[in-house]
Parts: sequence; structure tokens; C-alpha cells
Amino acid sequence: MVENKQISVKKKAYVVNDAIAEKIRNTMKTKNKRFFNVMGSIGAGKTLILERIAKRLSPYYKVFVINGDVATTIDADRIAKSGATTVQINTGGGCHLSASLIQKEFDKINIDDYDIFITENVGNLICPAAWDVGAEKNIVVVSITEGEYVIKKHPIIFKGAQIAVINKCDIEGEDFDSKTLVEDASKIKSDMKVICTSAKTKQGIDDLITALGIDIPKRE
Amino acid sequence: MHEYSLASAIVTQIEEIIKKYNVIRVKKIIVSASPYEMVIPDLLQEAYKIITHEMEKFKDSELLMEIKAAEITCIECDYTGEPTEEGDPEFAYNFLCPKCGSRDTHINMKQMIIETVDLELSEE
Ligand SMILES: Nc1nc2c(ncn2[C@@H]2O[C@H](COP(=O)(O)OP(=O)(O)OP(=O)(O)O)[C@@H](O)[C@H]2O)c(=O)[nH]1
Ligand SMILES: [Mg+2]
Ligand SMILES: [Zn+2]
Repeated sequence: MVENKQISVKKKAYVVNDAIAEKIRNTMKTKNKRFFNVMGSIGAGKTLILERIAKRLSPYYKVFVINGDVATTIDADRIAKSGATTVQINTGGGCHLSASLIQKEFDKINIDDYDIFITENVGNLICPAAWDVGAEKNIVVVSITEGEYVIKKHPIIFKGAQIAVINKCDIEGEDFDSKTLVEDASKIKSDMKVICTSAKTKQGIDDLITALGIDIPKRE
Repeated sequence: MHEYSLASAIVTQIEEIIKKYNVIRVKKIIVSASPYEMVIPDLLQEAYKIITHEMEKFKDSELLMEIKAAEITCIECDYTGEPTEEGDPEFAYNFLCPKCGSRDTHINMKQMIIETVDLELSEE
């Protein structure tokens, strides 16, 4: 005999990912570690910004960076030259990192060996927004060459972020303008921290580090 | 195209649930989500088919997505619930709070829920 049965499930589709993310967040908090998720479009300057941050912080802190890309270890190799320990996750077509991918990397290391953890998410302004990786803060990087409407066109990822970085401000001029992007980033969320940077000239990098709540010890 | 990850998260949960039953096959899964969830129903179904293609217990099953009301939280007054109307003409996801009229609202994402699953069970 065959019986048909409907079962009421009433469970969130994201529950597995979100539970792992929450666990990561709690571990980091308990151990007094910092963990940030850097998202942004393709070529916005995420890696160059992380190279600058790693270089600035590694005299004082042990920094661990997880790079997410569809293929290659180029970004992880670049950042490793700036004094951070890096690992590359190849998502093999996947358009975002997830909490379980991050947890797998944390399982391979001793969290106590590091102070600051940063992920460079896959270059994409859509999918990473839905997948919590367990970071304390989400940072979105866009650059002024992406057009002045890039924030209006991708509101969701900005709604879920605490810091918006407007990068490549060194080429500000006739063709590229940061003004609309800065305004939009501030309007989209009242408590958004907006920072203009040039990863090239290092302008704004210290402001970004301060916005993350990391102290840069004063040199003697 | 993160519908693939989402479909596989759904399948994983259903696999867990059906362990408790004497299941011949899964017939239908119904999920619900607001229109502002970054999920394209057709892509979700497509991904579901690819994932379950060779899974015996999911053969000929379907995944249906129902649309439900969006939920916002107002930063100004803490209201949580349905927004009044469409988003701001300029910022599509800045919805109007029906209680205090503020547009400083947060749209609650990732509210997709697996509602029900229809199973064919063996009675032995
Ligand atoms: N002029 C200028 N160029 C920059 C700046 N930041 C990054 N670039 C350049 O932009 C290009 C992309 O930078 P990346 O740091 O690789 O960008 P990304 O966001 O990591 O890119 P993906 O990981 O491929 O998504 C490189 O050629 C950088 O040298 C900047 O502030 N100013
Ligand atoms: Mg990069
Ligand atoms: Zn309100």
C-alpha cells in the first residue's frame, strides 16, 4: 500500500549556512578575534586594498586572509607578499563564499595563532549578499570606474554592509566622479560608514582600518 | 546564480527530514519567499532539477516557490512587518515604514522558508 503524506516543515532555507556562520561569529567573539568579509565587484580593488591593509597591520598583528575566486591562486599569492598568511578557495564556478567553506579553512589552522581574519569574497555584487560567512562586519568595495549608478543598481549588498568603500579615487576627474557614489552609499543606509580610498596611493587606507575598529599602534 | 547553492541547501534539509519516514519518493516541495529575495523561481527550479536528476527518491519531484509579503524593520521606530508600498523610486530597497513614514528601513532578506513537502510513503 502507498500512502500520501504532506509534512509541514516551516524551516528557513538558509538555516544550515546561517547556523555555521553564527558559530563562527561566536567563536571569534569568545576568542577576541576580528573577522571581516570584503565583498565587491570584479576588479574594484579588493585585493590591492587587502595588500595595503596587510602591509600596514602585519608589523603589529597576525593577519589571515581567505581569498575566494572561481579559479587561480593569484590573489592569495599577491596578498601573501604583504606579510599576511593567505589561503585561496577556488569555488570552481560558485559565485560566492559560504560559511561552510570558511569553516573548512578554519579547521585547518589554529585560530589562536592569528589576530585578524579577512575574507576576500568572489567578485560579484549579487550572490555574496545572501551567504553569511560569520564575519562581524561586511565591507563592500566599488570603484569610481564602475559608473555612478553602481550602488543604486545593487542595493541589496549595500543594505547588508556596514562599510562602503569607494575606491580608485586617485583617478577622480572629468571622466570619473566619486560624488554620487558617496552620496548614494550614505543614503542607502543611515548608519553606513563611507570611505573614499585609493589603494594605489594608499589614500584612505588608515581611515578604513580605523573604521574596522583596529588600532594602528603609533610608531616610536 | 546562487540559486544552485540554495536549491542544494533545500535538498539537503529534505533528505534529513525524509530519513524519519518510510519514503518511496518525494513528490513536491513548496517554499515561500518575498519578491525581494534575489531568487529567480525558474532558475531555482532549474537548479533543483539538476541536483535531484539522479537521486532516486526525488525522481519526478517538483519544487514550487510561492510569493509572500516582504518584511521590513524600521531603523527609526523598530516596526517589523510588511512595508507600505513599493521601494523608494531612487533606492529600490528603501521601503516606507507604515508606522512612522521613515524610509530608513532594512529589508529582511533570506526569509525563504521550506513550507511543506509531499511524500509518497510505503505503509509496511
Ligand atoms: N588607479 C587605481 N587602480 C587601482 C586601484 N585599486 C586597484 N587598482 C587596479 O585595478 C585592478 C584590479 O584590482 P584588484 O585589486 O585586483 O581588484 P579585485 O577587486 O581584487 O579584483 P577581482 O578579485 O578580480 O574581483 C588592478 O589593475 C589594480 O592595480 C586604485 O585605487 N586606483
Ligand atoms: Mg581580487
Ligand atoms: Zn518606522
